[in-house]
Amino acid sequence: MKNNKSRFIVILLMLSMVAVACGGDTAEEVAETPEVTEAPKETLAAPATTAPPPEVIVVWAEEKVATALDPLVGAYEAAAGVDVEVVVYDFGAIRTDVQTAGPAGEGPDVFLGAHDWVGELAANGVLQPINLASVASDLFEVGINAFSYDGMSYGFPYATEAIAMYYNADLTDGVPTTWDDVKAACDAAGTELCVGAPGGGGGADAYHNHPFVASAGGYVFKVQGGFDPNDVGLDNEGALASAEYLDTLVKDGVVASTDYGASMSAFQEGRSLFWMTGPWARNDASAVNYNVGLIPSFSDSPATPFVGVRGAMVSSFSDKKLLAESFILDFFATVEVQEAMYNSDPRLPATKSLFAIVEAADPIAAAFAASASNGIPMPNIPEMGSVWGPFGDALLIIRDQAYGTNEETGVTVNSATDAMKLAAEQIRTAIAGG
Amino acid sequence: MKKSTVLRYLFLAVFNSFIVYAVPLTITFESWFLLSLILIIGLLVNIVYFSDRFLPMKWILPGMIFLISFVVFPAVYNTFVSFTNWSTGHILTKSQAVNILESRSFTPEDQQGIEFDLYVFQDESFEFYYLADIDEQNILFGKAVTNENIPDSNFAQHEPSFKQNGEIFPPDGFNLLTGKDQIANSTTLQELSLVIDKNTRAQLFKISVFGASTGLLSSTSQLYTFDESTDSITNNSTNTTCLAEIDNFVCNGKEIDPGWRVFVGFDNYQKLFSNQRIRGPLSLVTKWTFQFAFVTVLLAFSVGLFLSLVLNKENLKFQRIYRAIFILPYAIPAFVSVLVWKGLLNPDYGVINTWLSPIYEILEIEPIQWLKTKESARSAVLLVNTWLGFPYMFLITTGALQSIPKNLIEAAKVDGASSLQTFWRITFPLLMVSISPLLIGSFAFNFNNFTLIFLLSGGGPPVIGSEVAVGWTDILISFSYKLAISGGRGNLFGLASTVSIIIFALVLLISAVSFRYTKRLERIYGNI
Repeated sequence: MKNNKSRFIVILLMLSMVAVACGGDTAEEVAETPEVTEAPKETLAAPATTAPPPEVIVVWAEEKVATALDPLVGAYEAAAGVDVEVVVYDFGAIRTDVQTAGPAGEGPDVFLGAHDWVGELAANGVLQPINLASVASDLFEVGINAFSYDGMSYGFPYATEAIAMYYNADLTDGVPTTWDDVKAACDAAGTELCVGAPGGGGGADAYHNHPFVASAGGYVFKVQGGFDPNDVGLDNEGALASAEYLDTLVKDGVVASTDYGASMSAFQEGRSLFWMTGPWARNDASAVNYNVGLIPSFSDSPATPFVGVRGAMVSSFSDKKLLAESFILDFFATVEVQEAMYNSDPRLPATKSLFAIVEAADPIAAAFAASASNGIPMPNIPEMGSVWGPFGDALLIIRDQAYGTNEETGVTVNSATDAMKLAAEQIRTAIAGG
Repeated sequence: MKKSTVLRYLFLAVFNSFIVYAVPLTITFESWFLLSLILIIGLLVNIVYFSDRFLPMKWILPGMIFLISFVVFPAVYNTFVSFTNWSTGHILTKSQAVNILESRSFTPEDQQGIEFDLYVFQDESFEFYYLADIDEQNILFGKAVTNENIPDSNFAQHEPSFKQNGEIFPPDGFNLLTGKDQIANSTTLQELSLVIDKNTRAQLFKISVFGASTGLLSSTSQLYTFDESTDSITNNSTNTTCLAEIDNFVCNGKEIDPGWRVFVGFDNYQKLFSNQRIRGPLSLVTKWTFQFAFVTVLLAFSVGLFLSLVLNKENLKFQRIYRAIFILPYAIPAFVSVLVWKGLLNPDYGVINTWLSPIYEILEIEPIQWLKTKESARSAVLLVNTWLGFPYMFLITTGALQSIPKNLIEAAKVDGASSLQTFWRITFPLLMVSISPLLIGSFAFNFNNFTLIFLLSGGGPPVIGSEVAVGWTDILISFSYKLAISGGRGNLFGLASTVSIIIFALVLLISAVSFRYTKRLERIYGNI
C-alpha cells in the first residue's frame, strides 16, 4: 500500500513536469506564430507598440564571405525592419544542402555560391530566377553569362576569380609574354623549380590546367548560346597541339610536377620563380615579395583561364522570394556593400562601379582582372560533373609523365595526345550513358 | 521509496516531457513518419519502465532504439534510394516539380526589359492597390489581385492626377506604403499583380527601402499550366503541350527541368551489372577492395601481435612507456595523420624519399614515385593503413595474451615443447578464439575505409583507359562516392546507393562465413 501511495505522488510530480514542458512549448509557439502567418495588415494605423516581429531573411555563406557580410546587414535591418540572419556554412556543403533542405521545407532564402552550381541547381528546381534588369548596366557580361542557364538569370554576380601568374619580384622583373621565353627567365634566376602550378604531383586539378589545353582552339564544351554538352572539344586539333606543347614544357622542366600544397610551399620558400594560381592565394604568396602578371601566351593565343563567378542566389523553396530578391538587388548590389565586402574578402569585382574603385587602388587585383578578361566562364551545365574527373586525370598524366599501359583494359597512353583523346572519349561516354 | 525508483520516475518524467514537447512540433512540420516513430518509442519506454515486469527489456530497449534509428533506418532508406532514379534533375517529388513549373511566369518578347517605378497603396479595409508609373501616358492604378482573381479583375486605369511634378499623391482614403511597410507585407505582395490588359500584368520585383520600388511587366498567364487529367503541362508562351514521360515532362523531345523521383525497380542493379562502362571498373575495384582489406588486417595483426609478444615479457623495464608509445598512432585522429603521411610521401619533397635517397643511390635506381604509380600508391595505402591499424591489434592481443592461463604454457614447457611450438600450438590458437571476431570486424571496417583512401590518394592514380573515372587505389566505397558525385549530369544517388547495397551484401556474406569458422575454432579450443 505504501508503495502505491508513493507511486501516486511520483506520477503527480511527473504530470506537473509535463505541464511545465507544455507551458514552455506554448510560449515558444506564441513567439513563432506571427512568423508563420502572413504579416498583419495594420500598416495604416500601426502604432509602434504592436509592431509585428520582423521578417527573417536567412542567408547562407561561406565563412570569409559571411564574416564580411555580417557587419554590413545592420544598415538594411534598420532601414527595412527585417532580421538578416547570416549563417556561416561550409562552402561545398551549401551546394548539396540547399538541395536537401529546400525541398524539406527548410534551408536559406538567399545563398552565396559559385556559378558552376547553377546548372545542377536549376535542373533540380531549387533555384529561383532573378530579374537583373535594374542592375544589368553595372555588371560585366561574363558575370551575367555565368549565371544564365536555359535562357534565365539565376544569380547576382558579385565577384569573379581567375588564375594568373605570381612571380617572385626579388628574382625577376615580370612574367615573359610567351611560354617559349619562360625557361630562359628561370635559368637566369637560377631557382630550383620554374613554374609551380597545381595539377601535378598526384593531385588532379583540371581547373588550374585549363589554359594549357584550351588557349589555342581547344574547349571543354562549345559555346553556342549556352554550353553544348554534345560538343566536347578536348581532342580537337588545337587541344592536342596544346597538350603536346604542355608535354614539352614538362619535359623541359618548365612546369614542375606539383600539387597545390607543393606549388605553394615552393613559391613561399623562393624555390620556384612562378606560381600559377588565383587571387585567393595572395596572403600565402606574401611570404615573398611577389607581383602578378598575365599567364604567358601560347605563341599568338593568349592564355584562357577558367573564370569562376560568385553570386547571390534565391532558393525556389523560400516563402519570401520578393523580400529575398529585394535584399539582393536593393541592398547587396549597391556599390557601398560591394566595396565593404571587397575590403574584407578581396575577390575580383563583378560590378563596373566597384572595379573602377579597385583598379586605382590595387594594381594586383587589376592584373587578375585582366587575366579573367581573356578567360571563359567555367561551364555551368550539370554535364560538367562528367568532365572534372577524366579531364583532370588526363592532365595529371601529362604533368606527372605517368604514361603507360593498363594491364586490365590493354589501353596504352604513351603521349599527351593519347591522354586527351582518352579523356574526351570518357567524357562523351559518361554524358551519353547518364 | 527506494532511491532507484525515484531516479527511474525522474528519468521518465524528463523523457516524457521531451515527448510532449516534440509531438506538436512534428505536427506543425507535418512529418507524420517522425510523429509515429516518437509515439511508438514513447509508448514502449513508458510500458517497459513503468511496469515491474519486462526486466530484460529494461536493458535491451535503449540499445534497440539506437540500433533501429542509426543502423536499421539508414540501411532501409539506402535500399529505398537504390530503387529510385534519384539523381541530378530528379530530386523533387512530382507535385513539388509541378509547383515550381507552375510558379514560373514569362514576359512576351516585346515587353522584355521594361521596368518602372511601382507604388503600393492600402485602402481603409487594408486591400492593396498598385500604381505603375510606366510612362507619361501610362500611370496605371488599380487593385492588386492574386493569380486566381486575374480573370475577374478590372483593368488598371490611367490616373495622371496621382503624379504631379514627380511626386505621388494618393487619393483620399488611400495610404502610400513606404519601402519598410512593403517589406513587412512582402509575403502578401509577392502573390499580387496589377492587371493592365487581358494579356499583361505588372508585378513588384524589387522593393526598395532607399527609393521607389520597381515593377516589371509579364504575361497574365503563367509559363506552364498543369493538366492533371492528361498528365501534361502546356507551355503558354509557345502553346505546346508536353506530356509526362516517366520522370520528366517532354516538350518536342526536350526534357523540361526539373523532373521528379520515381521508382525504377531493378534498373540501377541491371545497369551496374550489364553496362560494360561500369562493370569493368566495378570488377577491378572489387578485387582490390578484397586485397586491400585482407592484406591490411594481416599486416596490422602481424605487427600488433609481434609487438605485444615482445612487450609481454614480465620483467621488461619501462613496459608501460613502450605500450603507451605504441598506442600513439591510434590516439591521433586519422584525419590528421593521413594528411601528414601524404606530405611525408611526396616523392619530390617528402621526408621518406629524402631518407631513402642513399639507398636509391647505392642500388642505382630511380626514386619511388609514391602515390603516382599503381604499385607505389597501393603499397603506400597499405603501409599507412598498417601504421594506423597496428595499435588496435596490439591492444587487443595484449589483453588476450594476459588472459591465457599461465599453467598451460608451463605445462607445455614441462612436456618439453620449444617456445616456438608453445606459441603455435598453445598461445596462438587460444588467442584466435577471442581475437577472430575482432579481426572480422576490422576486415569489415577496412572494407569501407573511405577516410584513408579519400584523404591519402583520392583513389588515384587514375586507371588509364577505363571508361569511367576510377583510380588504382579506389575501393568500392570511394568508387561509389565518385559515381554519386560525377555521373553524366552530376549526381547519381540511386546508382551509388546500389553500389553500397552490394558492399553491404558482400560484407554480410564474408562476416557470416567467418563467424561460422570462428564457432568451429571455439568448439575445438573453447574447452581448454
